[in-house]
Amino acid sequence: MSEMCRRDPRREWIARNRLHPEHASALAALGNIGGGGAASEWLGPSGVLRRNPHGVGFIGPNGVKRIDRSGAQQGGSAPGHGRQAVQQDRRRHVEISDPAFLVAVVPDLTGGRLSGHDKDLLGLARRLADDDPERPGAVLAVVFGEHKEERLGEAGIDRVLHLGAETYAGFAPEARLAALTAVERELAPRHWLLPDSPLGGADLGRRLAQRLGERPVTGVWQIEADVEAPLGWRCTARGAAERLDIRRPLPRVALALAECAEPVDETRHAAEPLSLGAAVPIALSRIEDLGQVAVDPAGVALAEAEFILSAGNGVKDWEGFHHAARVLGATEGASRVAVDDGFMARDRQVGASGTWVTARVYLAVGISGAIQHLQGIQGCDRVVAINLDPGCDMIKRADLAVIGDAAEILAALVAKVEQQRGGQRDAA
Amino acid sequence: MLETLLPILIITALALAVIGAWRRIRLWRQGRPSAVPLFKGLAALPRRYLVDLHHVVGRDKVISNTHVATAGGFVAAAVLMILVHGLGLGSSERMGPVLGGLLLLASATMFVGSLFVAKRRRNPPARLSRGPWMRLPKSLMAFSLSVFLITLPTVGVLPQDAGSWVLALILSAVLVWGLGEMVFGMTWGGPMKHAFAGALHLAFHRRAERFSTKHGGGGRSTGLKALDLDDERAPLGVEKPADFTWNQLLGFDACVQCGRCEAVCPAFAAGQPLNPKKLIQDMVVGLAGGSDAKYAGSPHPSQGLGGKPVGEHHGGPHGPIVAREGTALVDAETLWACTTCRACVEECPMMIEHVDAIVDMRRFLTLERGETPNKAPEVLDNLIATDNPGGFAPGSRMNWAADLNLPLIADLQQVDVLLWLGDGAFDMRNQRTLRALVKVLRAAEVDFAVLGNEERDSGDVARRLGDEATFQSLAKRNIATLAKYRFQQIVTCDPHSFHVLGNEYGELGGPGAPARYDVRHHSTYIAELYDAGRLAFSPWKGGRVTYHDPCYLGRYNGEYEAPRRVLEALGIPLNEMERSGFRSRCCGGGGGAPITDIPGERRIPDMRMNDVKETGAELVAVGCPQCTAMLEGVVDKTAEVRDIAELVADAIVMPSARPRRGERCSPGSRTEEVVS
Amino acid sequence: MRPEQQGIEMAVLVSVGRHPITGRARRADQDARGLELALCLEGRLPGSRIGLLHAGPRSEESEAALRGYLGMAADAGTGLNTLTLLEQPEGSDAIPALADHLSAAMPQLVITGTRAELGEGSGLLPYALAERLGWPLVNGLAAVEKVENGVATLLQALPRGQRRRLQVRLPAIICVDAAAPAARQSAFGPARRGELEATPGAAELDHELAGWQVAPARKRPKRLKIIRAASARDRFKAAAAKAEGGSGQVLEGVSSEQGAEAIFTLLHEEGVLRS
Repeated sequence: MSEMCRRDPRREWIARNRLHPEHASALAALGNIGGGGAASEWLGPSGVLRRNPHGVGFIGPNGVKRIDRSGAQQGGSAPGHGRQAVQQDRRRHVEISDPAFLVAVVPDLTGGRLSGHDKDLLGLARRLADDDPERPGAVLAVVFGEHKEERLGEAGIDRVLHLGAETYAGFAPEARLAALTAVERELAPRHWLLPDSPLGGADLGRRLAQRLGERPVTGVWQIEADVEAPLGWRCTARGAAERLDIRRPLPRVALALAECAEPVDETRHAAEPLSLGAAVPIALSRIEDLGQVAVDPAGVALAEAEFILSAGNGVKDWEGFHHAARVLGATEGASRVAVDDGFMARDRQVGASGTWVTARVYLAVGISGAIQHLQGIQGCDRVVAINLDPGCDMIKRADLAVIGDAAEILAALVAKVEQQRGGQRDAA
Repeated sequence: MLETLLPILIITALALAVIGAWRRIRLWRQGRPSAVPLFKGLAALPRRYLVDLHHVVGRDKVISNTHVATAGGFVAAAVLMILVHGLGLGSSERMGPVLGGLLLLASATMFVGSLFVAKRRRNPPARLSRGPWMRLPKSLMAFSLSVFLITLPTVGVLPQDAGSWVLALILSAVLVWGLGEMVFGMTWGGPMKHAFAGALHLAFHRRAERFSTKHGGGGRSTGLKALDLDDERAPLGVEKPADFTWNQLLGFDACVQCGRCEAVCPAFAAGQPLNPKKLIQDMVVGLAGGSDAKYAGSPHPSQGLGGKPVGEHHGGPHGPIVAREGTALVDAETLWACTTCRACVEECPMMIEHVDAIVDMRRFLTLERGETPNKAPEVLDNLIATDNPGGFAPGSRMNWAADLNLPLIADLQQVDVLLWLGDGAFDMRNQRTLRALVKVLRAAEVDFAVLGNEERDSGDVARRLGDEATFQSLAKRNIATLAKYRFQQIVTCDPHSFHVLGNEYGELGGPGAPARYDVRHHSTYIAELYDAGRLAFSPWKGGRVTYHDPCYLGRYNGEYEAPRRVLEALGIPLNEMERSGFRSRCCGGGGGAPITDIPGERRIPDMRMNDVKETGAELVAVGCPQCTAMLEGVVDKTAEVRDIAELVADAIVMPSARPRRGERCSPGSRTEEVVS
Repeated sequence: MRPEQQGIEMAVLVSVGRHPITGRARRADQDARGLELALCLEGRLPGSRIGLLHAGPRSEESEAALRGYLGMAADAGTGLNTLTLLEQPEGSDAIPALADHLSAAMPQLVITGTRAELGEGSGLLPYALAERLGWPLVNGLAAVEKVENGVATLLQALPRGQRRRLQVRLPAIICVDAAAPAARQSAFGPARRGELEATPGAAELDHELAGWQVAPARKRPKRLKIIRAASARDRFKAAAAKAEGGSGQVLEGVSSEQGAEAIFTLLHEEGVLRS
């Protein structure tokens, strides 16, 4: 698409004249030039946003024109013109062709995509790379295995070294370490950054540091420039099980916590593919990954569970409840009463006298919310309650409460989830 | 012929009994030593039997009278029989008729008693053991009847040679039966063993303080005995029967299997695997060695399965009581089901100390094996690390009272009343009670202060769970803290703290810090305040009320009156539950039972709430944070649960409405006084 | 090659922990889980032996904490009534001392926690040992399934309670974290009776650590939601938006379908529904 805007004075004239028979179509055409917006707004020739005040609003039920400024109503919402304005990407495009140094980042790519932690880490990498605008460094991402991430550049990556071989799949610390050692030999990055996430960077980063003979810093959550430090940076890291802050010069290998820096969102980077000159030597593996083991979500320890479906005195249809837990993939919990009545096992009891849970979502079905129970779910992020009694304490605690018959609502929820899953499969 | 036969029979029976007694005593002496004053104990025996034991037995008049007739008749008859027939005094001209007449009277009394025993055994309640106990009335009759008949000639009612030798032989045979059961069986292990062991148990009881003396007093000794942790070789609790002290073993042997303990045990009623009577019998099995196959009472219930079959468990004096794997004498769940409510001890006519024994065995499981069940290890770890069972930050103990501006004793150094908050300070429900109590104390213008964050858990739960080490560590630190300040008395709304501070710390105080405190439950203190005219109440307008006696207030500390006095002062008419006062049924919250959480068929608090329901009360007044929590946890309860302090606080007429009694000194002015 | 079912030699590295609230010395949680794992394995592989190893200074406080581990070995007969203490002055580097000891003792399985609760707590120690000894290392361990012919089958903990099966050739170092089974109770009696066998360990002062500034952890600033709104209206809306944590939404008198819809939306937002 051409970036050049050509004026069409006649069309502009028609657009200004509301009484012209071609007014609407001219308006729409003008809007299209501005990146596909609605007719009420378009980008003028000098790059100024132009507005057609008459194109805004809609005709209300009484025939009166109404303008909704809440933003819910897109301007010029004449039926048939339902085109969404695609936000113009205003991010600066940055290309570093001749980097002064490299900052190597090994993102976790959990599930094939950059996690929030990875993006924070890349933000940190950018801070290290862009410190001196005269001599910028480049951020090199070493990516193992197949991935689905298409926005590597937008996350702040200049160079991508993709090692997609089968040997790196699963838990293959030895092969990955061999590859990183090869990167070190060939590219000698100034910094190595890894996320300090269990089972991801935390493991690989420590191995790498040992192999490179570096004493890494772990649990970094803050860095600041310091001319006296060897690499020009100081960092603050957590130590002693989150009880201490250790301030020390930033070493070559750093393992950083989530939210160590703001993710990149104002620039776009090239994410140029890179490859190693020499082949990575094949490491003799003494660890063999036999693959993931099927774990029944119901058997997951309550304290570990992320999503808990918990039953109380109000649950009458136990078959339905267990079925719902299976379909939702939730771990089952219970109130003391449900356990005492023998419907649930003792190790499923949530509360002060049972297990203290820290689930992301706690879905309480028919639990009125005794104090002891509410104490046990203090650590949960979102609490959803289904209950018949709108006055019970659980409703007061819940972020979302639905008053109604537990069995029916659960059944509807199950149907909804199944329908959605079915739909996805069809689409795929 | 009888004249020659009788002395031989009697002397033989006595000789055999002495041998049996010696053997039995040897069995008891397998236990660890325990210093008891032998002669003083024996001297106190009659009084302990006639006064203290009878006080317990006398709660059931029929049985009491039956026992007086049977046992009194037997003792008299036995002594007289030895004199008359054994030593031949019956043939003397002067003594013969008198002694013979007395013997007739005694044996007749005994016979009448045994008729009542027989009547009771015709349709025995479930709590009574059967087996050999079913033949006891017959044996009693055999003895009394035969003694009566052989004595008839002595007094001259019948001629000396009346009847044929056949009759004499039959009579002697019956007498042999009677003697066998009553004299030989007494020491060789028949039902009559209880008389021999029971008498000695009374004499050498481990808690001599339980018994009254001529000067009155006594009657209550409920604190657990401390373990010596400084001696590294001293055993930590009881692993095998021989680890009990010898007088504890003697106590177990004294059991009459009357099953009163079983009838009152809340765990048994809830279908948890505990039957106090069976447990004591299991110890007797362990003492002598063998299996429990001969046990003839109700077994330990087992989680709704109707009972654990008898005969599976076995052991010996030097074998483990609780097996690591498989079965030994008892299962661990049996020990952990106990709520330490002391109902069994209160009911036991033989003065057996069940709770001591259970805690002794728990101590071994916790301190040596580290097998405290369920959530208990977590609670104990919390107590070690944070000084409270919930694992809360010790510095947050006073958070609930942030707005109350409670005076700290550290600022005042000296007050009249030290308010002991207990761990209820961390519990949202109990905080309401504490607030109410503070309101009452302020209304009565009491000079009080709290320890604040210096307070620690009293150690009650740790001790009942058998963790004596943690208990003593907490206790010693609390004692050291208390020693820093001066106060007249400690007031607490937690009967468990009350009991531990008042009855169990005493043993642990050092030379610099004697740990004897004047501790009062808040109900006692409120009653005192009311009687002193320092509180005024508005009349009660609520509905029917009943009162639940907390075990640790009632049975442990004998305080049944003060809470009722307070309720009366509030103008609340009480509808007493059938089981109230010393027979109050436990709420299920004591002894760490909610933590060890042994499954049963029912829940103990549900049963208690049913008791409440039967009175038709809309409100149940309690005086213990544990009871409040347990009873409030009942689903679909019919009555509201309120602490006495809350009821008082609601009814209180604030002092501003009454004439003031002089200026109240503010905490600030108080400090100045102390400083100057 | 060893025949099947023969016991193995294990070394459990234990450290002095610190309670997160009160800071009192205690068994370190992860190390205790490691010992628990070893004890369970010992029960399944008769003839196995467990060695408890700690490097550090000896003080009353640390001794009480270390005895906590001995208290877990209430089942005597495992040879677990002693703990080998490589005594070092305060501030020494534990790695050389442990590496020396392990290379001499040659256990087949070394079990450690993931991170110490005291000091740097970087979690580097097992990696340093693995590098020095040249042994494979597996972290995030949840269970040891079996040990046969010098190969251990392990379960590694993944998020959400998922597990991955691994095989590793012995000798190996394994690190456990909070996903491993919780440690058993520590009993007072065995803890008191157990012995601390102190031998002097290599005393290399950790100079680097001494040069760092160490302070109690500051609270990390909560990340602000940075609004990069295109229009003033959006910015205003974001700034004026009600803070989270107010009372929740209550749906009353709606059909069960509507209720389910609302719940479904929330579950979807939170991303807890696996597709």
